[in-house]
Amino acid sequence: MSIETNTGEILKNSGTFLASLIILPPLTIGILRKTKARFQNRIGAPLLQPFFDLAKLLQKNETVSEHASWLFRIAPCINLTVMLLLSLLIPWTSLTAIPHGIISADLFLIIYLLGLARFFTVLAALDTGSAFGGFGASREVTLALLVEPAVMLCLACLGVRAGTSDLSQVFSYEATRLTGQYGLWFLAGCGLFLSSLVELSRMPADDPTTHLELTMVHEAMILENSAANLALAEIGHYIKVALLLGLSWQCFMHCLPSHLLSDWTARAIASTGGIISLALFIALIESLAVKLRWTKLPEFIAYAVAMAIFSYLIALSV
Amino acid sequence: MKVDKESISLADLKEILGKETHRIGHFTSLDGGQLLALLLDPSQGDKGVKLYEIALENGINSYPSLTIKHPQLHWFERALFDMFGIIPSGHPRLKHLYLHEPYERNFFPLRRVPLPENFNSPIDRRFHFLEVKGEGIYELPVGPIHAGVIEPGHFRFSCLGETIINLEIQLGYLHRGVEKRLTEVPLKHMHFLAEAVASDTSTANALAHAEAIESLAEIEVSERSKYLRSIALEIERLAMHIVDVGGMSTDIGLLGIASAMGRLRGTALGMGDLLTGSRFLRGFIVPGGVRLPVNNGLFKLKGQVARLRHELKEPIAMFLDNQMALERMREVGVLKASLAKEFGMVGPAGRASGQDYDVRRAFSHAAYPNMAPPTVTAREGDILAREMVRIKEIWSTLDTIDRLLDNLPEGETTGADFSKVRLKPDSFAVGIVEAFRGELLHLVATDKEGKVARYAVKHPSFNNWTALAIAIRNNLIADFPLCNKSFSLSYSGNDL
Repeated sequence: MSIETNTGEILKNSGTFLASLIILPPLTIGILRKTKARFQNRIGAPLLQPFFDLAKLLQKNETVSEHASWLFRIAPCINLTVMLLLSLLIPWTSLTAIPHGIISADLFLIIYLLGLARFFTVLAALDTGSAFGGFGASREVTLALLVEPAVMLCLACLGVRAGTSDLSQVFSYEATRLTGQYGLWFLAGCGLFLSSLVELSRMPADDPTTHLELTMVHEAMILENSAANLALAEIGHYIKVALLLGLSWQCFMHCLPSHLLSDWTARAIASTGGIISLALFIALIESLAVKLRWTKLPEFIAYAVAMAIFSYLIALSV
Repeated sequence: MKVDKESISLADLKEILGKETHRIGHFTSLDGGQLLALLLDPSQGDKGVKLYEIALENGINSYPSLTIKHPQLHWFERALFDMFGIIPSGHPRLKHLYLHEPYERNFFPLRRVPLPENFNSPIDRRFHFLEVKGEGIYELPVGPIHAGVIEPGHFRFSCLGETIINLEIQLGYLHRGVEKRLTEVPLKHMHFLAEAVASDTSTANALAHAEAIESLAEIEVSERSKYLRSIALEIERLAMHIVDVGGMSTDIGLLGIASAMGRLRGTALGMGDLLTGSRFLRGFIVPGGVRLPVNNGLFKLKGQVARLRHELKEPIAMFLDNQMALERMREVGVLKASLAKEFGMVGPAGRASGQDYDVRRAFSHAAYPNMAPPTVTAREGDILAREMVRIKEIWSTLDTIDRLLDNLPEGETTGADFSKVRLKPDSFAVGIVEAFRGELLHLVATDKEGKVARYAVKHPSFNNWTALAIAIRNNLIADFPLCNKSFSLSYSGNDL
């Protein structure tokens, strides 16, 4: 293999990665909203509406509460930065911007980076002193506390099986010890998907379309944000949606027969299509399910934890 | 209907309230010099409507409060103080109900008897919220401007974590002085104002007004008019119940059902258009009869009823088959039957808490009680029960419209000629109507010259607002919007 082809390979990889990082997250949200609208017999906003919304928000004048400190303004930037960093670490598509082995996508690093982003969002919500931000933050932290073990366990049992905590190796389509472990991959994927519903404030944990402040979780935290500040928070959230859906989809992709995915293009198309189909699935859930009572949510999260425990048992036994 | 006033003493009133199973229809005053108590006994029909006058001694504008023994009077006594400056002394939570800080301290808009010399209001205009103290208690202010396009009202929650310990509701942001204005406009314009008291209840208000004015002017109304009025009232109930069930679907997140219900509400309003020429049924019911539009679509109504009955089936079945949705509403915001009775709750919310009270079966108005459907009740008193009562009433309302159309008598329907209408002097009349929220009441009193001296409106929301504050206690914060929606209360109807 000559150096030129290698560089070409890296450029192709990075270019596609960058393009999908920019286009995919808002598009996924657009598709999700459009599907929900179609389920409700509405025509719905255009698929590209999230892009238009962001462009609109970036042009607006910002209003900042007089009680807010510098933290409130800086938090969405930190949040977005962490998300961009995570997009390089989390194996959410089959593409990688950085060739394997250069940085280690340690699963504990990923969990704690997710925690760091949440920490700053919560601080910013508390910073303005509004009651809504306060209880939104309290709810977010409670949910995170419940759902984190499931995420951690799902990723850890894959790592245990593969013998490494570097996720880029676990998901590299090369790890031999995990090849053929369809049950393990599937259960881990389900566990991660159920946890992402909670992490991403989708139904049945939170209703992203509601206007009722008293029932909000994620939305209550960003009620005070406006203009560019809100746009950054939204972009961060969109990327998080793509990352977490992508991560659970990669688990499912490893359940597919490997000869189907031997090709680079096939993998790239399947990765992208997978994220979109999971978004369609969320739209289906949100059209049929209602938001659960706050006290019933632990029961829902228990499903994710159960998936994680089962996959852990499989990981130990084989 | 016409009511005769009986003068009694306060001690007599206490005795009557203590002994008998009355509900309090209204508790107010004419001009500040007396108390008026309208008591209703639904079991006795029209004979059960009694009006008592309790004279206040010259120069005295206070009396011992009755609220502690009869919690129904809680807001009535506050409104009495706001409007007339009559102090219910010993009232446990006396504060202004309608008038906020911008009003002068000693301003009582409906009082015509002069205030005692050197009188100074015992409380200031500021709204003092009940404070809950203790570790971990925090206050959560919501409103008066809300996230949705709804009316203004301020809610002050005292919470412990996610649990609501106490809720205080401050209304009055929509106080427009309707009752005073109703005594000022000429009779021929009065029905326009009366039906705008609360615009989502326009038919019921117009009907209550017409009933009261007709009995004061001794106008006979034709049977056909009565039936047409009933049809209009039922169409309003139908449209608003559909909207309320749709609103509940929105709030729990069933947006598909919500948009279907929104569309079907349009069909129901279209029925209003066919009958009255106005989708919101405005200007239809006038004293003496009804105003039919030139191209009235009366003959098309039956087809619309059948269509609506068919098209409502699917979304309502989807709503009731969704176990997650039922689970969400069950045992949330429970109001026990005993409390519902104590607070004198009315309408679907009251019936969901076991109150067997439907004005259509109790007191005569329009084509009722002859054409009244069976009362729908439930015992559970939770959000689900309130929605179930609404859904059952949607079906019973469709049946009632069908029955009214089938039995529609022939006859004249033209309204009264206002140039000839003279109201009986020194008399009282009351119109009691089952609006879609429950018992709506217009009490009209005339002076010596036969002019309207006092026009009192009691909207059903007035009874139910306090009940909402009780029902939400010890529930979760996130359950309040659902609970609020299930009561479906009017701000403007309360604030007047």
